[in-house]
Amino acid sequence: MMGCSFRANSRLVLALAVSALTLSMAGCGTSVERMDTAEVKDLSGAWNDTDSRLVSEEMIQDVLSRDWLPEFTRTHKKKPAVIVGEVLNLSNEHVNVNTFTADMERALINSGKIQFVASKGERGEIREERKDQDINAAETTRKPMGQEIGADYMLKGTINTIIDTSGSSQVRYYQVDLTLISLADNVKTWIGQKKIKKFVKRGNLRY
Amino acid sequence: MRLRRAIRVFLPSAWFLATVLLALSGCASYSDSFSVIENDMAAQKFGVALQAFEKQRYPKRDQVVYLLNKAMLERMSGDFAASNRTFEAVKASVDELYGVSIREQALSFAFNDATRSYTGETYEQVLVHLYTALNYLQLGDLIDARVEALQVDERLREIAQKIPESRYTEDALARYLTGMIYEEMGERSDAMISYRQAYEAYRRYREKYGVTVPNYLKQDLLRLSQQLGLSQEMRQYQKEFQIEHWMNAEELAQKGELVYILNDGLAPIKREQAANVVDPASGHIVRIALPYFETRFTPVSGARVAAGDVSAPAELAEDIGAIAVKDLEARIPVITARAVARAVLKAQMAKAARESARQQNQNNAGAAVAALAVEIAGLVTERADTRSWLTLPSRVYLARLPLPPGTYTVKVDLLGDYGQIVATQEYANITIHQGAKTYLSPHWIAPNVTTPRSPR
Repeated sequence: MMGCSFRANSRLVLALAVSALTLSMAGCGTSVERMDTAEVKDLSGAWNDTDSRLVSEEMIQDVLSRDWLPEFTRTHKKKPAVIVGEVLNLSNEHVNVNTFTADMERALINSGKIQFVASKGERGEIREERKDQDINAAETTRKPMGQEIGADYMLKGTINTIIDTSGSSQVRYYQVDLTLISLADNVKTWIGQKKIKKFVKRGNLRY
Repeated sequence: MRLRRAIRVFLPSAWFLATVLLALSGCASYSDSFSVIENDMAAQKFGVALQAFEKQRYPKRDQVVYLLNKAMLERMSGDFAASNRTFEAVKASVDELYGVSIREQALSFAFNDATRSYTGETYEQVLVHLYTALNYLQLGDLIDARVEALQVDERLREIAQKIPESRYTEDALARYLTGMIYEEMGERSDAMISYRQAYEAYRRYREKYGVTVPNYLKQDLLRLSQQLGLSQEMRQYQKEFQIEHWMNAEELAQKGELVYILNDGLAPIKREQAANVVDPASGHIVRIALPYFETRFTPVSGARVAAGDVSAPAELAEDIGAIAVKDLEARIPVITARAVARAVLKAQMAKAARESARQQNQNNAGAAVAALAVEIAGLVTERADTRSWLTLPSRVYLARLPLPPGTYTVKVDLLGDYGQIVATQEYANITIHQGAKTYLSPHWIAPNVTTPRSPR
């Protein structure tokens, strides 16, 4: 019989081979789980949606609570018109800056205290359309050129990182600076800053 | 009767065991599966090569090396955006593979090194960032290229912590490109630091790989140290380089620049070198398989780049072939030690199986067959790990041409050892903007890149 003719040593060899085989064949199917967008889930330690949200929330709160806003409304008797300039990504990750500038734009417009004008990229397309209306649209519905609202302020910014690594531990420090610059005289009316610091420890063992 | 039954029960299971072991170990070595694609690349049919490559199936443990080659083929066929998506996937996979897998260690100890997940050699991990940056630069995306520049720095710092300086711990070309990116961004002090690091790295390259400091870098060091008012450093460079005149920052600011980077040929390919030795004590065969690098032929040893009425030579900026060979040389003692340890284990396993067969009834053929199967499996699973980033160029040449803003047709003569023209290439409609750099980084592979395999 197989069992009795096979001694411990050879049985061990077979067991080793079989267990190696099972180990190498492990794999799992896909699973999906819906999450709340506000839920914090850090996977790699890289810039993620939570960081983007935290930055935009803090910046909006800050920019709306400062003195420049009531002051402008008082002296000019209108809402300030703001344009989003470039938020430079000077970090060491390919960060998507559009998500938090869009977040900010939405929150600021909805606050009803600030007017936003189309940014440089968006303007081109609108002007194309106006040019097209000039030829093709009915007189009464035609929008004339040269009626755009000039922005009072430009929102610009940078994202910076400092990474400090030792072995499998890493400190990731992000700093987002946003500046509101008056287009009339280059005066910086507001500077917002948000810092995020993370300690990431990578596992020395894996499956 | 008993014998026949034993054979009937046992023979299939022994063969099953042997087949399983063979399947696990991956019988053909990785580099052997590449020859079809190599031929397409040599015919400069990169798109065809990419299609053929994408059809290849690969085990999960080869994912990184598969993606590396895919990304390179994508960039060769001109799809820089796709190439960068693949490179990002490479980075994610490498991150996932951080840490030691006990399962893979055990497998590699029992079978061979190729059963481990491939995470890329150190130089390959750095070059990922270099080529991602080049892709972004070709796409005109300076900001994202800068992100890669920072990642190069991060990666090199990580490597320097882990690996002794005698090995590959600095990448001169990556540092140099980083400097160019910073300078174009207007970050002059960062650029200066990178140029200095590149200079230091090139001085070490001279000893290790025979690559000298490119004249272009000398000009950059002089120009930038002058611009930053580092007069003492500038005078020192002047003395070292014996250069009296260079284009200063104001002159350069009036012009744009063409940066031509030639990726020439293909990096050396890993082959297997195996020794089957009869153990005099037991009379049984012991097999040890090790990888070695086989260089792939290229007739190019320089280039001349011309645009408008400006012409400049392309200088050797990185010898990836030499880096690869030296890196493997440094690791071969460890690889050998592992192979020897494995051979000992396999011999022990075979011996144990034989002895248990001997202790059985003499006419129990089943145990004898099983013992033989263990021994054969031990031999056939001993394969060298021949995985490497095969689509890297063998050498990289660099030329920089300051040009007045405008549109140019760039003509490149690839030159052989005696200055003879090997091939000529033309790039039409290359636009040069004032104060900016336009990058051109083609890959050229000689038609006869595949040398006949030398038996060893």
